[in-house]
Amino acid sequence: MYKNKKTGVIGIIITIIILILVVILSNTNIQEISYIENIFNSIVMPIQNGITYLKNKIEGNDSFFTDIDQLRAENEDLKQKNSELEQSLRELEIIKSENETLKEYVNLKDKYPEYETIPAYIINRDINNFTKTIVINAGEKDGIKPNMTVIEDQGLVGFVLSTTENTAKIQTIIDTSTSVSSVLNSSRETIIVNGTLEDNSTLKATYIPTNATLVENDSVETSGLGGIYPKGIHIGTIKQIVDTKNITDRYAYIETAVDFEKLETVLVILNEPVE
Amino acid sequence: MKKFLTIIGIIIIFFIIYFLQSNFFTWFTIAGIMPNLFVIFILTIGLFIGKKLGFVFGLLFGIYLDLLVGKSIGISGIMLGLIGLVGEYLDKTFSKDSRITIMLIVATSTAVYEIGIYAFQIIKWGGIIEILPFIKILLIEIIFNVIITIILYPLIQKAGYGAENLFKNKTILTRYF
Repeated sequence: MYKNKKTGVIGIIITIIILILVVILSNTNIQEISYIENIFNSIVMPIQNGITYLKNKIEGNDSFFTDIDQLRAENEDLKQKNSELEQSLRELEIIKSENETLKEYVNLKDKYPEYETIPAYIINRDINNFTKTIVINAGEKDGIKPNMTVIEDQGLVGFVLSTTENTAKIQTIIDTSTSVSSVLNSSRETIIVNGTLEDNSTLKATYIPTNATLVENDSVETSGLGGIYPKGIHIGTIKQIVDTKNITDRYAYIETAVDFEKLETVLVILNEPVE
Repeated sequence: MKKFLTIIGIIIIFFIIYFLQSNFFTWFTIAGIMPNLFVIFILTIGLFIGKKLGFVFGLLFGIYLDLLVGKSIGISGIMLGLIGLVGEYLDKTFSKDSRITIMLIVATSTAVYEIGIYAFQIIKWGGIIEILPFIKILLIEIIFNVIITIILYPLIQKAGYGAENLFKNKTILTRYF
């Protein structure tokens, strides 16, 4: 035989495949392979449609050219309408975002009704990695003075460091040089809360009285001592308690209630709380 | 006239960098740490144009930054001015044509600047001294600054030599000898 062994094997394989195909095809219902039909159709149909379209156009070619002017006018008209609609859509979006901000303000104001506050946007953040000051778009004109307390929906933000006519610089509580005198909600023990460099949502509580009982998830609020912050503003919750050899040195990490990464609007407390 | 235009250009670049730093780089961060483009900028001025302009621009820009966002007026000015001042001495000691040298200079300047700022902050405002978190932030910032320097190096070099020829009256020949 002139055929070598290899071609013989290939021939056998091809034969087996053909056999299997024949068996499958002969046993398959036509409806079940309609997707193959679809594929073939989709190859042919566009061309078929194009040819039909051309045929129709040639048959009625006089109306084709007279229609163009009309279509052009219609097109212009639609373009005009489209731009008008887009304009109104944009306006609506602006109104929507305004509405959301105003709603936020209303919520904020409802939460602290005993204080007279004014809302403000954050317009700038510190460009240094070691200080955490922010700048807001309200200043002396709005009655803001240095050392006023700044809060947010969730809790304490910081205090006003300095003001200009239209802006105010705020030192946040997460700044390392900010210390807030605060109390533990459950035991009413006074502690000092400092900002840390660790991250933007962690504070460090120090000067914890030796006899104080610390509980995780206990909430911490301002004590009203120190002359800047009014009493009873929520700061955060105790996240982790670190015991040291000497009990006077023990400290705790507090998670701030305010998300400083996403902070956008704040409230400045203009007056002392009404007793 | 050309010198005047260059100075105007430097001021415009400063504002561009300011807006980049306060908008783009507040979210384009490495682990929440921003780079410090001002150090690179003032260092470039000091290295290529000279200590006088480097110092003056460093001081003015630093004070301006302090007024805008800083907690205490002056410290950024002093530190940036210092970097601008040292730039010329670095220029005399090291070659600016080497990418590695520029990277090392940027890294050192960033470290000096941030350590100065942090030390001043602790002295003036108090607070807990946190060495480890500080070093972590500083290292990331240095790496970020060095990466930016590598990317911007061709630009820095081109603009820098242009300005150098203008301000130091160096003819192109002197560089071949």
